Amino acid sequence: MNRQLTASRALQEFRNNLRQAPRRILESAFRSGRPVSDRARALFVFGNVFLHLHPVRVHRWSLRWTTTLGLGVAGAAAFLLTLVTGVLLMFYYKPYPDVAYQSIKDLHFVVPTGRFIRNIHRWAGNVMVVTVLLHMARVFYTAAYRKPREFNWLVGLALLVLTLALAFTGYLLPWDQLAYWAITIGANIAQSPRELTDALGITSWFDPGGLQRLLLLGSDTVGAEALIRFYLLHVMILPLVLAALLAVHFWRVRKDGGLARPPDADRRLPPLPGNTYPVFTEAPQKTYQVVAIVRGRTPVVGAGPENTLPSMPHLLYAELAVFMLVVFICLALSLAWDAPLKEIANPLVPENPAKAPWYFLGIQELVSYSAFMGGLGIPLLALLGLGLIPYLDREQEGTGEWFAGPGGARLAGLSALFGFAAVVAVEAFAIRFGWIREWFPEAPQLLVTLINPATLLTLAYALFSLWILRRYDSVRAGAVALFTCFLCGFVVTTVIGTFFRGPNWVFYWSAADWPAH
Amino acid sequence: MARNKYLLLISSLGVLALLVAAIVQEHWLREWRRIQRRARSAEGPVPVYLRQVVNTTLGRADRCVSCHLRMAPGETPLATEPVLAAHPPLPHDPLEFGCTTCHGGQGQATDEAHAHGNVPFWPEPMLPLRFAEAGCGTCHSPSGIPEAQTLAEARLAFERLDCLACHRVDGRGGTLRPGAFGMEGPDLSYVGLKGFDHQWYAKHLAKVRHAPAGPWSAFREIDEDDLERLRIFLESRIGAPRLVEGQAVFYKAGCLGCHKVSGVGGDEGPDLSQAGLKDPGRLNAQGGHGSPRLVNWLLEHFRSPSSVVANSQMPAVTLSDRELELLTLYTLSLRRRDLPSSFTPRDRIRTTRLGEREFRTDGATLYAAFCSGCHGSRGLGLRSAGMPAFPAVAHPDLLQLVSDQFLIATIARGRPGRRMPAWARINGGLSAQEIRTVVLWLRRLGGADFKPDGRPRRWVNADASHGRRLYRLACAGCHGPNGEGGEGPALNNPVLLEAATDSFLFETIRRGRRGTAMPAFSQPSPAHPTLAAEEIASVVAFLRSWERPAPPNVASTAHPASGERNLP
Repeated sequence: MNRQLTASRALQEFRNNLRQAPRRILESAFRSGRPVSDRARALFVFGNVFLHLHPVRVHRWSLRWTTTLGLGVAGAAAFLLTLVTGVLLMFYYKPYPDVAYQSIKDLHFVVPTGRFIRNIHRWAGNVMVVTVLLHMARVFYTAAYRKPREFNWLVGLALLVLTLALAFTGYLLPWDQLAYWAITIGANIAQSPRELTDALGITSWFDPGGLQRLLLLGSDTVGAEALIRFYLLHVMILPLVLAALLAVHFWRVRKDGGLARPPDADRRLPPLPGNTYPVFTEAPQKTYQVVAIVRGRTPVVGAGPENTLPSMPHLLYAELAVFMLVVFICLALSLAWDAPLKEIANPLVPENPAKAPWYFLGIQELVSYSAFMGGLGIPLLALLGLGLIPYLDREQEGTGEWFAGPGGARLAGLSALFGFAAVVAVEAFAIRFGWIREWFPEAPQLLVTLINPATLLTLAYALFSLWILRRYDSVRAGAVALFTCFLCGFVVTTVIGTFFRGPNWVFYWSAADWPAH
Repeated sequence: MARNKYLLLISSLGVLALLVAAIVQEHWLREWRRIQRRARSAEGPVPVYLRQVVNTTLGRADRCVSCHLRMAPGETPLATEPVLAAHPPLPHDPLEFGCTTCHGGQGQATDEAHAHGNVPFWPEPMLPLRFAEAGCGTCHSPSGIPEAQTLAEARLAFERLDCLACHRVDGRGGTLRPGAFGMEGPDLSYVGLKGFDHQWYAKHLAKVRHAPAGPWSAFREIDEDDLERLRIFLESRIGAPRLVEGQAVFYKAGCLGCHKVSGVGGDEGPDLSQAGLKDPGRLNAQGGHGSPRLVNWLLEHFRSPSSVVANSQMPAVTLSDRELELLTLYTLSLRRRDLPSSFTPRDRIRTTRLGEREFRTDGATLYAAFCSGCHGSRGLGLRSAGMPAFPAVAHPDLLQLVSDQFLIATIARGRPGRRMPAWARINGGLSAQEIRTVVLWLRRLGGADFKPDGRPRRWVNADASHGRRLYRLACAGCHGPNGEGGEGPALNNPVLLEAATDSFLFETIRRGRRGTAMPAFSQPSPAHPTLAAEEIASVVAFLRSWERPAPPNVASTAHPASGERNLP
């Protein structure tokens, strides 16, 4: 009788627990309860491994659309999209020459929705490259790289390089003619230091270009070794490194005090909506914690009511909105245009013109004048310059404002005009009249390496920005001039390389004028 | 911050809409689904699902039958639209090999343009329907096909003798008698494959004797020549009449003189064994993508080779439009693949392993296939722009002066350094028997036998230095100052000098060759000096001075080119 009673009580408890289980699972997962109060929302954010990269509260300035245009989040969203679709593609992809091509054909025709998934992957990859570049431009033009965000700018640069590397390594995987010859070109660009070592006659014992190419391809030509290298880089190493750096990037945004905003941001914002619960940093409940005596900017005390909103849900809505917008754009592009797939790679039949992926076509355009300068010298110089910007520009004026610094948007416009005119003039001259090699076939290579459209253009940009720097007596002004010029140069050379270069890298106004092959 | 919420709402709804669109596209807008939904069999609607023909040995998984539903195993929809038509009858079951094995195209694709391969970047487009027989070439290599003229005569004989009155061949002829008798005579479309009773003529005659009335009364006696023609015709009935005709045209055009097919032929031009598998994406031609482009390229190439292949040395193919079409069909059929042994057809084994020839080894076909490309279909020589003239090898003036041995040696050893290959020595050349057959055919073409004058091979004994002066004066203009050839053939050729008798050289100079640029030097003429007999002899002696003493056996064993180089 007693035993029966015990058993029945246990049974009762079991039933009760079973009934409560869903609620308890939810409670144990989200320990803070329903995020109805600001406190619960804050708890929700830092109780969640994914959300805790966010600050608990976010300044209203950061939520304005014009502050960021959502470009950073868009880049991250595109990355997530490539991650998900990429994993799906991995189920069918086989990284071995010829078999790889067949597996892409399978994806295209056999696998249900395979073509769609591959299209999304391709488009999201391109969207990622574009948004990351635009994001960099946004951060530059709002002078958001300044102290204390210098290091995050460097992390961002690393992310840009990783993004390009991811896109480039993915380019080879379909193993079609387009991929094969684009990677061949890319690998030859990697070999470009050889032009200099050849000119100096030291290639036989010092050949960094050849080594670089060998490391990339694992062989003399693009083959099975290159494919497995690119595959491994593309699906594992680069995404892991990128994800890790991305976490650092986000975390630093929070640790560096949120997004950059002008000092008078609070005054320029409209008043808080009436239903907002204000946060007073002078609140008597606030006590100093250890963090308060660690050097840092997080506990801001004595600044009056904060113009912040809880990240959950305000920031989350903004991020989700951008994320869905990116998904929408990628899906729409994928429905409209299939990812290209040409004939199976054939090492014996070069594509003419063989073009690198589009984001390297500007470099390829410069490489056509000088391999070393175009492929290594100037890109490296540009990267170095970008990296140094936050350490050279120590001004504070206009941080967080679009086209901050003396000159403002007018200076940016002027620089764009100069940058555009200079690159078009140099390109037009070189296309119309040729260059040193055409005039003096016997000219020493070193001369061509030193004096070519790429170096001249860089020189013109440098001189222009120096002039601006002196005229405005501001490093920032010089930086704006240089950055804008380089941006123009990048866009114009990329457009020329993409649309106006035909077989043998000859200039054509239209692909319709290409000679029949 | 409500703007973010609205943006989220709108973009999420947009994503939802696009996903729905993708689902609709994937499930309702696919061509094959629509075709299957429309299709009706006698029992009612046809279940809609992706059908395919799989052959793991050949590595095929062809979904063509998802649209061409009637060709799917076990499906019998009513042929309400062309795509639902049944496969035409074949000697073997089409499902056995999958679809793309014969037809080309992308078996995995499920929309028309991609499946048929008429898109950029698909290297093996589907063969156009009018060239469908070219697909047989993937596995088959028909053997013993005569050249076009012979085949046409054989066909004409078959028609002239009214065989079609009773027999059906390639969908033509035959009489269906009322009642339960069926066809008068058996269908002969596949007799070349299945074999036929070679006693048929005697049996037919016996039938006529026993049943003089009725349909048999129309049967007449047939002479020997016509019986031979009928045999040729019947042996070529292998179920692919247009392919056979195309192959016959290929032989008629003399392509094998320069090109190899399956290892047989000259080596002046590229090997054509895989010519039907050219990637249309790489061809310089008009006409969209895929097979139309490939066909246009081939036709353009035949009509004017150098307009599509820079620096092509190939002369234009002078054939009628119909013959060019057939030639295109045959070229497209040159797509032989390696096959697992269980799928290798008998004719392929016979031609590749047992040495059986794909062409018929009679004189007409051999001469047409190997010689006519350069020497003309009647052996009267050819002249094409930018090239030395090809000699008239069936010229009676030549044939009267040379023995069969001379002709055999010339064909067998060629003319080192010139375009005439050594047919007995090159890879893929001719057998001794075949060369003899060609020589007999040359005699028949020229209508002239060798008339020996009874002199020894070498009888000229004259002053070569006098001959040199005369040569400079009379011969060098055409034959080159050192006999290297020019307008006329090269005379310093070691094989020519070794094979030619003195009488041949002497008489050729004396009589000339009518109708060619070689005049008779014994006849007075304002165009050239007249040579007396002893002068001609001294010219012959001078020609002989070019003949270098060959090391023993080198001429008969070593490769002629390398033998040449080894000489001092």
